[in-house]
Amino acid sequence: MPPRNPERIRAQKPRIGVFVCHCGHNIAGVVDVKRVAEQLSKYPGVVYATDYEYMCSDPGQELLKKAIREHRLNGVVVAACSPSMHEATFRRAAGEVDLNPYLVECANIREHCSWVHDPGEAATQKAITITRTMVEKVKGNMPLEPVEVSHKEKCLVVGGGIAGIQAALDVAEAGYEVILVEKSPTIGGHMAQLSETFPTLDCSQCILTPKMVEVERHPKIRLLVNSEVEEISGFIGNYRVRIRKKPSYVDPDLCNLCGECEKVCPVRVPNEFDRGLSERGAIYIPFPQAVPSTYTLDEETCLGIKPLICGKCAEVCEPGAIDFDMSEEIIEEEVGAVILATGYDLYETKALPEYSPDDPDVIDPLQFERLLSATGPTRGEIRRPSDGKVPKTVVFIKCAGSRDPELHKPYCSAICCMYTAKHALLYKHAVPDGRAIVFYIDIRAPGKGYEEFIHRVMEEDRVLYIRGKVAKVFREGDKLIVWGVDTLSGQRVEVEADLVVLAMAVVPPKGVEDLARTLRLSCLDENGFLKEAHPKLRPLETLAGGIFIAGAAQGPKDIPQAVTQGSGAAAKAIALLSAPTLTHSPEVAEVDEELCSGCRVCAPLCPYGAITVEETAQVNELLCEGCGTCVAACPSGALSLRNLEDSQVESMVEAALAELSPAREAVEVKGG
Amino acid sequence: MSAKPKIAVYWTGSCGGCDVSFLEVGEAIVEILSRVEVVFWPALVDVKRSDLEAMPPGSIDYALINGVIRTEENREMAEILREKSKYIVAYGACAHLGGVPSLADLWGKEEIFRAVFGEGFRPGPPPGVDGEARLPDLSEKAVPLEEVVRVDYAVPGCPPPAPLISRFFTALFSGEMPDPPYVFANVKALCEECPRERHDDRRIERIVRPHEIVPDPNKCLLEQGLICMGPVTRGGCNALCPVAGMPCTGCLGPTPEAGDPGAAMLSALASLVRFEDEGEEYFAREDEVLERLADPLGTFYMYAFGKFRRRS
Amino acid sequence: MADGNGHEPRIVAFLCRWCSYAGADLAGTSRIKYPPNIIPIRVPCSGRVDPAWVMEAFARGADGVFIGGCHPGDCHYVSGNYKARRRVTLLRKLLPQLGIDPRRLRLEWISATEGKRFAEVVTEFVEELKELGPMRAEEAAQDVR
Repeated sequence: MPPRNPERIRAQKPRIGVFVCHCGHNIAGVVDVKRVAEQLSKYPGVVYATDYEYMCSDPGQELLKKAIREHRLNGVVVAACSPSMHEATFRRAAGEVDLNPYLVECANIREHCSWVHDPGEAATQKAITITRTMVEKVKGNMPLEPVEVSHKEKCLVVGGGIAGIQAALDVAEAGYEVILVEKSPTIGGHMAQLSETFPTLDCSQCILTPKMVEVERHPKIRLLVNSEVEEISGFIGNYRVRIRKKPSYVDPDLCNLCGECEKVCPVRVPNEFDRGLSERGAIYIPFPQAVPSTYTLDEETCLGIKPLICGKCAEVCEPGAIDFDMSEEIIEEEVGAVILATGYDLYETKALPEYSPDDPDVIDPLQFERLLSATGPTRGEIRRPSDGKVPKTVVFIKCAGSRDPELHKPYCSAICCMYTAKHALLYKHAVPDGRAIVFYIDIRAPGKGYEEFIHRVMEEDRVLYIRGKVAKVFREGDKLIVWGVDTLSGQRVEVEADLVVLAMAVVPPKGVEDLARTLRLSCLDENGFLKEAHPKLRPLETLAGGIFIAGAAQGPKDIPQAVTQGSGAAAKAIALLSAPTLTHSPEVAEVDEELCSGCRVCAPLCPYGAITVEETAQVNELLCEGCGTCVAACPSGALSLRNLEDSQVESMVEAALAELSPAREAVEVKGG
Repeated sequence: MSAKPKIAVYWTGSCGGCDVSFLEVGEAIVEILSRVEVVFWPALVDVKRSDLEAMPPGSIDYALINGVIRTEENREMAEILREKSKYIVAYGACAHLGGVPSLADLWGKEEIFRAVFGEGFRPGPPPGVDGEARLPDLSEKAVPLEEVVRVDYAVPGCPPPAPLISRFFTALFSGEMPDPPYVFANVKALCEECPRERHDDRRIERIVRPHEIVPDPNKCLLEQGLICMGPVTRGGCNALCPVAGMPCTGCLGPTPEAGDPGAAMLSALASLVRFEDEGEEYFAREDEVLERLADPLGTFYMYAFGKFRRRS
Repeated sequence: MADGNGHEPRIVAFLCRWCSYAGADLAGTSRIKYPPNIIPIRVPCSGRVDPAWVMEAFARGADGVFIGGCHPGDCHYVSGNYKARRRVTLLRKLLPQLGIDPRRLRLEWISATEGKRFAEVVTEFVEELKELGPMRAEEAAQDVR
């Protein structure tokens, strides 16, 4: 039988070099690296094998390059850490001495071996076997060149909170078009709800609204509110986006913000912006500085639009801005990069029944922000929701739902220590004769000026901090009784409070799973936040190329961190958008037309629509992401995945199951 | 005019269908027989093993052997034919791949005897024959011809279909026989020559057996739930069975790069079994469909078990 | 004979690079110990795993074959893991016909954050295979020359 793909059978005999890394003590402390190198030097196809302390160091890479030249290597296996760490490093080094990077592979003898096994023979044998399997793979690898791809010069930003705003502005300033998609009728996010910000006590809206206005006015930014991203498909540099925009029924260009419509609206529903502490009509503006600056008719709470039941708002609208015929729009765009800044929600107080969450005077921290805010339902006077009285004792309970792996969220919500201190301080400033009591587990204040702020609150503003958890909150007449414990004195504590503020855990917003799914962002983290590509080194990237994350979407963050991430993600996106071309991995599927019968088993399996079938199947290598699902399904072996062909894997399996190397006894004798 | 090629035809563990299959070519058989010299063909001419043994080595040009190697005698005859012939042709699925009889290897020799003849049966001399004669013993395994002798060509099929028989004799008479090893069938799968329509969004929402439905005359049988081995099987028969509404059972054997045909077809089939969408909520329904495949081994390895199960 | 006393099972593991391979990396980074019986082979997606590889591994004497993929809904390539699941379902129907205990083929969803689970699942699989005893013995009892 003639050989398969004759042009792709390697012309040269394998001359493979194996480099076994000590990784200091990380590998060499468990695996006998000398023996791995010695065993591999005898393996068929290997012409050179050595060990070295740190292969990833400059001298390590020099050693690699020198050996490639001196021994005329046509394949390299570096037995070291996971390929996710240094595959790129070693491939680049090989490329510098003209060895095709795709002929270099990493054998993972650290994460998959030395770090998970005890020192000794078994670990060494496993390291030898793993390295042999990779030698087998390299024997079958072909030199490849990356595929060049053009890309769209446009960026999608999902989420109009401070992180998304910052990202959108930075990308737009760099000269690229931005589509900013926001679910609610206005941008601003949670920051717009805040009164003042720690530790400087800047007015939150005062520093935020100029940025919001800038977004609205920026010629490069297309702002889509009331909109959700329904689907994202494609690949780095070339994502197709489908956005569903709900109608606002008000023409923002005509609306003059007179507010007559809301006055005549017969509907009263809780105002989300004030966290239910005030009411709004079905037609409303979330807050006066909302962007876009327009009223919005909320279809869900309106008495009825199709068919029209009431219509009073339109009757009083002088400029005639209200248009009941508006309908939902589907907007399709093509973008090169995506920044996800989907923010956070608060864990529902209902999850903590021991704290009487249904009591009107037990509130969440954003409700307290609204009570503090000059634009809030009480115009900045602190009055409790139940009866409007000024509370004389306020208890703040921190870690409400956070740091509780058994029952609630295992993680620290990161921002509660600081905003609770701010809450207590602002309360004391507003009600100087009032008492503020904070129950805490620990105080975490690692930001610039944060620790000083906490001290100021404790010492200058005389807020009482009690170290301990609260067991129960319940109403007794006019008062809320708070049962807690002071773990420093060991005393039980009972406080009669007028208002209780629960510093609820920060959680991922609803709908983020759906978004992650459409994006194929492999895995939200275990808490449902978007998972970064690497927790330390690639915090702004996801595993999907060209999709970045910023702000609390990735985990709880305060404003400076969210802004930093917004700018950081923007920089990543700009780097991508400004590249002349992008490269696409050549490790994709290909068809041997001599073998393909056109049976069409493959085409329906491809999630990217990369396969078309006429007489035979054809693979579009730009669309192919290289998953290999079609290859495994191809009944006649006409499809193959470059550099992971069936024959390679079969050789790897053979190497994985080959008899163990005979040096076992020799070592045992030496050891004994 | 040069001498006619000398041919031998022999059956080992065979049902006899292969011998009859030569008639499939119709009138052409007259011409074929006129252009060859049959030196050994027990089904056609009166020859004995001793006659064969008397022939000089290499004196036969082509020996066409059909049937699986099941007994000691099968093996001996294959070895003798190898010695006497220039080229050995595995004729039909049993010689080529092991065929249906090799499925018997799922059980041991003893079990087979017990199942067929009941407890206590022992092979021995037939009644009325003196003590020296004995029946040839069953081998441990039923194996394709290539496991006992070197095989040069294969004319596959159960039995080989007329177009492939013609293809073999045409090559033979033209003097342009391909270099061995060579299989007289297509490199591409059967689907290439199958006129049934295949759809881009094809999927399999049910699995049925041929007696359970009257298939749509135009649509791919797989899409209708019949397990058609076409995608993994060599073409060359002009999709004889699918055209007639019966799914291909794979008698021409897997295409050259398909590898293990059972694993290949299993993968293709499992990939296509799905409903309008995929996801956890469909797992139970998908499993229900897959559960309907009564005998995966018999379905996927009907002819090729002997060849592909024995690799190791 | 097949009681598995002192038998160290040999396992070939096909791990998808986005979830299970990364999960195994995390087990390493977190220094979570598990038995060394498993040889991982990195594949882009569990959907790349060809049933022929599984058959090949068993034919070459693997005591167990492990396939690790992304959780349902999390596949980096959208739906490769669903194909893997259905192929494994059919393989597990076929294996007993060949005299191979279907428990020797294991498909698990392991995400990149589940280092601990990877270690636990491998440990459990090794224990199970020890109880099943060596593959060669089981197969020899059934057939094969």
